[in-house]
Amino acid sequence: MQWGVYIHIPFCRQKCFYCDFPSYAGKEKLMEAYTEALCQQIEIQGLSFRQKWGKPATVYMGGGTPTALPPQYMEQVLQVISAHIGQEIAEFTVECNPGTVDKAYLQLLRDGGVNRLSFGVQSFQDELLHRIGRIHSGAEAVQAVQMARQAGFSNISVDLMYGLPGQSLADLQASVRQAEKLSVEHISIYGLQLEDGTAFARMEEMGKLKLPTEEQAEAMYDYMTTALPKLGYRRYEVSNFAKAGFESRHNRSYWHDVPYLGLGAAAHSYLEGKRYAATADIAEYIAGIKAGREVSELEEEPTRAHVMEEFAFLALRTAEGLSRQAFADKFHVELDSVYGEVMAKLSGQGLLLVDKAGCRLSEQGFKYGNVAFAEFILD
Amino acid sequence: MQNKHIRNFSIIAHIDHGKSTIADRLIEYTGTLTQREMEAQVLDSMDLERERGITIKAQTVRLDYKGKDGEMYQLNLIDTPGHVDFTYEVSRSLAACEGALLVVDAAQGVEAQTLANVYMALENDLEIVPVINKIDLPSADPDRVKEEIENTIGLDATDAVLASAKTGIGIEEILDAIVERIPAPEGDEDAPLQALIFDSFFDSYKGVIAHVRVKQGKIKKGMRLKMMATGKTFEVTDVGCFKPQPVDVGELNMGEVGFVAGSLKDVRDVRVGDTITFADRPAAEPLPGYRGVTPMVYCGLYPVESADYDNLKDALEKMQINDAALVFEPETSVALGFGFRCGFLGLLHMDVIQERLEREYHLKLITTAPSVIYHVFKTDGTVLNVSNPAELPPQTEIEHIEEPFVKATVIVPNDFVGAVMEISQDKRGVFKNMDYLDTNRVMITYHIPLNEIIFDYFDRLKSATKGYASLDYELADYQESKLVKVDILLNGDPVDALSTIVHKDRAQGRGRQLAAKLKEIIPQQMFEIPIQAAIGSKVIARENVRARRKDVLAKCYGGDISRKRKLLEKQKEGKKRMKAVGSVEVPQEAFMAILKID
Repeated sequence: MQWGVYIHIPFCRQKCFYCDFPSYAGKEKLMEAYTEALCQQIEIQGLSFRQKWGKPATVYMGGGTPTALPPQYMEQVLQVISAHIGQEIAEFTVECNPGTVDKAYLQLLRDGGVNRLSFGVQSFQDELLHRIGRIHSGAEAVQAVQMARQAGFSNISVDLMYGLPGQSLADLQASVRQAEKLSVEHISIYGLQLEDGTAFARMEEMGKLKLPTEEQAEAMYDYMTTALPKLGYRRYEVSNFAKAGFESRHNRSYWHDVPYLGLGAAAHSYLEGKRYAATADIAEYIAGIKAGREVSELEEEPTRAHVMEEFAFLALRTAEGLSRQAFADKFHVELDSVYGEVMAKLSGQGLLLVDKAGCRLSEQGFKYGNVAFAEFILD
Repeated sequence: MQNKHIRNFSIIAHIDHGKSTIADRLIEYTGTLTQREMEAQVLDSMDLERERGITIKAQTVRLDYKGKDGEMYQLNLIDTPGHVDFTYEVSRSLAACEGALLVVDAAQGVEAQTLANVYMALENDLEIVPVINKIDLPSADPDRVKEEIENTIGLDATDAVLASAKTGIGIEEILDAIVERIPAPEGDEDAPLQALIFDSFFDSYKGVIAHVRVKQGKIKKGMRLKMMATGKTFEVTDVGCFKPQPVDVGELNMGEVGFVAGSLKDVRDVRVGDTITFADRPAAEPLPGYRGVTPMVYCGLYPVESADYDNLKDALEKMQINDAALVFEPETSVALGFGFRCGFLGLLHMDVIQERLEREYHLKLITTAPSVIYHVFKTDGTVLNVSNPAELPPQTEIEHIEEPFVKATVIVPNDFVGAVMEISQDKRGVFKNMDYLDTNRVMITYHIPLNEIIFDYFDRLKSATKGYASLDYELADYQESKLVKVDILLNGDPVDALSTIVHKDRAQGRGRQLAAKLKEIIPQQMFEIPIQAAIGSKVIARENVRARRKDVLAKCYGGDISRKRKLLEKQKEGKKRMKAVGSVEVPQEAFMAILKID
């Protein structure tokens, strides 16, 4: 049985200005207790699922900033994973902030069983990095990737961003070129989104955020979608590009209905068709685990329509798209009987490519993904 | 009850001057309802009425009061609708009374609508009892208000009752004034029946219930009666009065006020203003003042979902059961599909109906901009009545067009006279008259196209006068005007539901404003949308809704999925509120855009 494990580390050195993720700066005091609690949860739950489903195909440690954990705590977590979830996981990713790792730390990860790193680089321009609240420089990012190579990592991803305040197309081009020069295997590029409650959202309200125009952001989007494939990075999802064979297995499982167990505060799980979320409050999480309480709760009782909708729009985020076979296998009805009209309409608008295997977004469809996805919401 | 112990009265007041509170106090003081039974604002029973602080349907209540002379009196309070749309209904309610309380706010003084109703009461020979309410307010100035009543209405206000309905001051004095100053009804008890219908409503058990005032003769259960205007006959199954809940009393005698029912199915058979008489021994003449219902304002109502057409039809039919003033007929629009052209007494009536359709029948509606009825004189000698701009014949077939004008009366503090005149001139008004009500307040009269009134005239007056302006209007006449139709094209295609008829001299400006407003309202879509305003084939304004550059959420991982689905649900929900016109998604409010231009 294919399944994955997600582990959440909710700590950050500093909160980035655009970030609305469950991550906290200035809670170092809680790290020790958190590590304890997390290890306890990994031991109990990890083990029980492993006994049920066998060793998971993927483990993904994200945040926050996993590498904000001091090395001794990280080592502790890695040991528990290795002991209770499994060794030699096919894909074991840890997210890294280039400003938080040195050679020893990276070696610790490698020796602990991690075989894939995802660096939150965002940009190689110092001025931009400063403007968006990152704690590292461009040079540090370059150095971090190089050190990772030396530590033995052969599967490295970098995250980049476009549409940042003050960013030009040339800035983005320079960052992409730099990533390519580092020969990373995988690149994720995210357009900046202003989320409620973030520093950027407040600045925008006060009129202090100088974002690129829609046209400039579009030019960056167009550049990313055309230049990256030319450099050998195939687009396999809306924002993800990889060299052949280096697509993130763990992330793909989110889009293709594979179950995953979330561990840690704010971690989400998808088990037996239901989605759960753990409390995002670190102290509450720690207390809960200590007391042996359930820290997760069901997000909502899924209806058949919800399950179909999610199945459809998640699959459509990927290059292979929505498969007739997979849909029929899961729901025991033909894709056409549910979405035939929608598919015809979107195909007529040039957003969807429909064939015998199923349907997937066209280039234009990727660009207006939300328009297409919204059509897959049932009445 | 002997007629010398009966008093029939209504209350005339401006919105917020305390009519409902005074009515509540009278009901309470006379013990008709105990305080506990008393819901706040008993008389305004519809939710909408309570929210808007106005009365839409008139209601009545019978109060038993022991006067100073120790005799029992029957006081019938006939509540009147408090809005300019319902002037005719008000006039019939007043015709059912011998007197009226004129309630004026002690701080604010006389307002335009109050004035219009007082004049109407005087025309009906009613005895007016001035009541100055809210005397407990720090800003109360009863002497100034008395003076104002004397100057503007010419009423002797020396004996005005000073009251505060809120605190209960003056309530007994009001009751005594009703008994002492308002005359008892007079008429021949043995003559053939003449009962005036001043309201009606539909009850699912008893059918249509008519509110009546017996002018002569009497009504008993089992009698066969006839409506003099509609010719409908029926047998009386119920006859009673409101206290304020209906109470069966078996008969209504000369001078009394109450209700009559007789398995009448259709509210249109029971017209406000009609006279009820004996079927076999009819009165020689009906009571004066009957008038058919004439809608003044029209608009198109369309379901957002075309599948809701039948539901909309059902809902309109149900509303019509209780509202004889609502008229509608099927209409088709190229842009909006199948819907109804609906006629209303005025803008408020229109608003209320729309809101009830959405609230009580859960319909999502698209409303087109309101229009008046134009008389279109064609070159072939025929005359068309056009209420839908899309139906205006081509310019070449039109000899001339006449539009309805109203006499508009505005009352404002004199500082704002300039502002009122400026707006009224701008609205093509012709100045008629200006009277000083007192040293501070002025009444200005204009002859002005109704079309301009329904286009934000009152809103503009209100904002230019810091809310002080009060407005009343009545239909004056039809006059020729140079009118043209401005069409709107979206993406090159004309959208019939956005057409509007405007004065030739304003067409250019209106077209430009409308195009600009639509640009604000229509959301960006995947392609650029040109918006054009045109008269015939001549384009007079042009705007562009720029294409949306991209629309996709960058990230969607394990923790985002439920949240993202909810965002998409919202996006889809938003789209449902839009109407696809050709390839363009147009939000509901676009069809009312013409009302929102400055």
